Amino acid sequence: MTTTQTNNAPLMEVENLSVTFFTPAGAVRAVRDVSLQVQRNEVLGIVGESGCGKSTVGYAMMGYLPGTTRLGGSIRFEGQDITNISATELRKLRGNTIGMVYQDPTTSLNPVMRVGPQVEEVLRQHTRLSREQARNRTAELFESVGLAGPRRIGRRYPHELSGGQQQRGLIAMALACDPHLLIMDEPTTGLDVTTEATILDLILDLKDRVNAGIILITHNLGVVARGADRVAVMYAGHVVEQGPVRTIFKNPRHPYTAGLISCVPQPVTHEGEDHVLRNIPGSVYSAQEETKDACLFASRCPMATAQCTASAPPVVDAGDGHLSKCFYWEQVNSDVWSAAETTQSQAKDPNAAPILTVKGLHHFYGTPRRRFVFFGPIVGRPVRAVVNVDLAVKPGQTLGVVGESGSGKTTLARNVVGLIHRTSGDIKLQGEDLGPGVEDRAKGQRSAIRMVFQNPTSSLNPKLPVSHALMRPLKKFQGLKGPEARERAAALLQAVGLEPGHLDRLPGELSGGQQQRVALAATFAGKADLIVADEAVSALDVSVQAQVLNLLKQHQQEAGTSYIFISHDLGVVRYVSDDILVMYAGHVAESGPRNSVLRPPSHPYTEALLSAAPAPDPDAVPTRIRLPGTVPTLRQAFTGCFFAGRCPRKVGDICDTTPPPAQQGPDAPSHVIYCHIPAEQLKELQLQRSNGKQDEVSISA
Amino acid sequence: MVRFLVRRISLIVVTLLVVSLAIFLVTEVLPGDVASMILGQGATPSNLAAVREQLGLDRPAPARYLSWIANAAQGDLGDSYVQRRPIVDIVKGRLGNSLILAGFAFLMAVPTAILLGVWAGIKRDSLGDQVISIGSLVAISLPEFVTGVLLMVVFASTLHWLPSSSVLLPGTTPLDRPQILILPALTLTGVLLAYVMRMTRANVIEVMQSHYVRTAILKGLPMRRVIFRHVLPNALLPTISIVAMNVGWMLGGLIIVENVFSYPGIGRLLLTSIQGRDVPLLQAVALLIAATYAVSNLLADLSYSILNPRIRLS
Repeated sequence: MTTTQTNNAPLMEVENLSVTFFTPAGAVRAVRDVSLQVQRNEVLGIVGESGCGKSTVGYAMMGYLPGTTRLGGSIRFEGQDITNISATELRKLRGNTIGMVYQDPTTSLNPVMRVGPQVEEVLRQHTRLSREQARNRTAELFESVGLAGPRRIGRRYPHELSGGQQQRGLIAMALACDPHLLIMDEPTTGLDVTTEATILDLILDLKDRVNAGIILITHNLGVVARGADRVAVMYAGHVVEQGPVRTIFKNPRHPYTAGLISCVPQPVTHEGEDHVLRNIPGSVYSAQEETKDACLFASRCPMATAQCTASAPPVVDAGDGHLSKCFYWEQVNSDVWSAAETTQSQAKDPNAAPILTVKGLHHFYGTPRRRFVFFGPIVGRPVRAVVNVDLAVKPGQTLGVVGESGSGKTTLARNVVGLIHRTSGDIKLQGEDLGPGVEDRAKGQRSAIRMVFQNPTSSLNPKLPVSHALMRPLKKFQGLKGPEARERAAALLQAVGLEPGHLDRLPGELSGGQQQRVALAATFAGKADLIVADEAVSALDVSVQAQVLNLLKQHQQEAGTSYIFISHDLGVVRYVSDDILVMYAGHVAESGPRNSVLRPPSHPYTEALLSAAPAPDPDAVPTRIRLPGTVPTLRQAFTGCFFAGRCPRKVGDICDTTPPPAQQGPDAPSHVIYCHIPAEQLKELQLQRSNGKQDEVSISA
Repeated sequence: MVRFLVRRISLIVVTLLVVSLAIFLVTEVLPGDVASMILGQGATPSNLAAVREQLGLDRPAPARYLSWIANAAQGDLGDSYVQRRPIVDIVKGRLGNSLILAGFAFLMAVPTAILLGVWAGIKRDSLGDQVISIGSLVAISLPEFVTGVLLMVVFASTLHWLPSSSVLLPGTTPLDRPQILILPALTLTGVLLAYVMRMTRANVIEVMQSHYVRTAILKGLPMRRVIFRHVLPNALLPTISIVAMNVGWMLGGLIIVENVFSYPGIGRLLLTSIQGRDVPLLQAVALLIAATYAVSNLLADLSYSILNPRIRLS
């Protein structure tokens, strides 16, 4: 590769880039005006809500914009403008001097090709390595991205690897030809927190090892805070602010950035008063709208004045390479965003009689049934999805349930709601037994428990208007008639921040956040006593997530509803919960009042989860507890502790041979930790670690 | 794998039992009397009774079914009423002829269909794609007896390039005069080709939009390699099941095509046996067709699992 760049020229320089896609539905202005630069040995983070054009910028740098596209401005890589080079020259850059890592590793690997050859192919294309040399180099690459047994991994098919391993494989592929620029498009999104932490560690490690510029595109401010040197914040196809990472987080000079930061729930380790999440109202300026001579953020901005809608703000330099596209950049601070209104929270009684109790709940999938020898599927041992779970939900309070995927959270929720039939155990609602399935339950019991699902798009009927979803529970459970029900439905929509006019819209005409609010309104309509929310905010952008979380809290205060709130995001769980239940491999690892669970002593698994969550604060000291691997699928009962296989604090044989005892935490009698390490010792070890001391885990048995 | 085979083969046996029962019941209610067909209009009642007894038709239906199926399981399909010789001998040559025709059509249709489908999928919305797509729609919509006659009119009656009838002299095989295969095979090909082509095209388009093809393109691979290593192996997997499903269609097509071209295959045999009320022959042929369909599906599933690493048969 010959390069004619001078030493101080940027590696990648994007100037006034605009990208418009022409689709049958009209022009989509994905990128309107983006200018940015990346140097070698620098990580540039690009953040923003979905629909702001982050990924399009990444793909434009690869010269990959499928369909009918109009491109403006220039993209210069090592002095060469890649917006007008030949396909052959583009091919020499792709995979060679520019490597790319994608959001969804599972779908980004060819499913019918072994992983090794997929990497070898890149080497064979761009270097003169022989087949044998390429194979050896691939093994080296796999080793360098932390894949143990690289030759063995190379012979596997993608579906035989975990999500984390697949992403490592893709990173190895991107690194194969020693790229000068590495573009990572949401590299950790969709991975478990624990996996996300290990991948992020790898990316940071690469920064020091490979002499390349890295572009890290993500919606996760925590990831950027940990990983990036400089940050570009994108809104509606514009870079609205860019600068060094500390400056951006500590001293944002654009109200959008300030808003994004205040939308994220405080890091879980954060001590002190509960805060209220700020909201950015509304949703992203649509890419289908024309570019106007105005600030496109004005409609959502608390500082907007007549000037903002009259002309577009210029880029101003706030010093030190810190650029902002705001007229009032000097006045921006974190208080520009008013907190959502909250009524004073009533004191919650930690000893109130629970509304829902679950005792000894088991759920096994694939329990063998009677079947004809030759026909039905061959059913092996059942998968033990939920094993002996106890929990209690208090009236007007929230029980948060956390754990990695595969830990049994959703199975638990579905058993409570009655979508699936439990294998054994008791579930009681207000002291009365609940049948295993909804069909076994009394009408009153059915309306008392409602569920909110992760994906509002697939849980609302796309062919029926919003009014249908809202009026059905009103008619069915509250006996309201047509006009009354409609009136009440309109009121419900207003309560969740939508317009009565939305009643006649189809779900497809609403944004994801609006759909989830409709789903919530439908849930509230049933006047449920208990709402089970399964990852209800996971698919939403931080700004919308904050809106929905505040809505849930507000409804709880007004209606006294109890929640079971399931999430893999500890920050979110911390924000809404009174009690927390930590699950691992179908077992309860720890449960108790929120602050007792989040403070030492914690179960080693809770500790690992806490340490994995990236904080949206560049000064946060990263704690290095990492869980390799994934949650096992269990077909056999554990002989010892359920967590022994991955536990960073494993003390010895006792963990493999004896199930851990239930220990009471020191602060609250309802705080239970299932671990062999005595609670006082756990506390000591965890305090030592958070004080930065290295520790040796031992047990005096 | 062994377990899968045992399961699938037992399933085929059960399927064939059910099919045989259905065939038997249908032939039971078929109008017409075999004895009067054999003896003609002027037969006396006592002669008719004698023939019936000779053929075992006086026995109760369940008993006849059981002995038929028991013999068939041992490879004895009984004797033809009309031709008065073992059905196995009649069917053998005819089945061979049909397999030659079907195999010939299959070999013409499937590779062409895949080639056209892949090309149309890659050049989506181009003129060529549109011509191919419309052509295939026409081919699907036309029944075999129309395409057959059309081809006959064009290539045999008008151009005189090919024979219009595919009759075989006794003692010869179709391979002695391969030109007689072309028109029936072309007729048979139409629907199969169009179907497989359309499915291949749809799969190629879907796979072209997948993330792993994007990965392959952004590796800097030449388009040729992207298509052969990444698009085709994935796009052709579902084609296998489509092909297998269409084998059934093709077997149905055989019956029509063989009659249009007077080709001495199993399809024509089926029709003559119906016309002659030759019940044992009819039953045997129908059972044979069902068995061919079941076996071809099994073969498709096997090849699918061999080509798709995500599926492990158990």
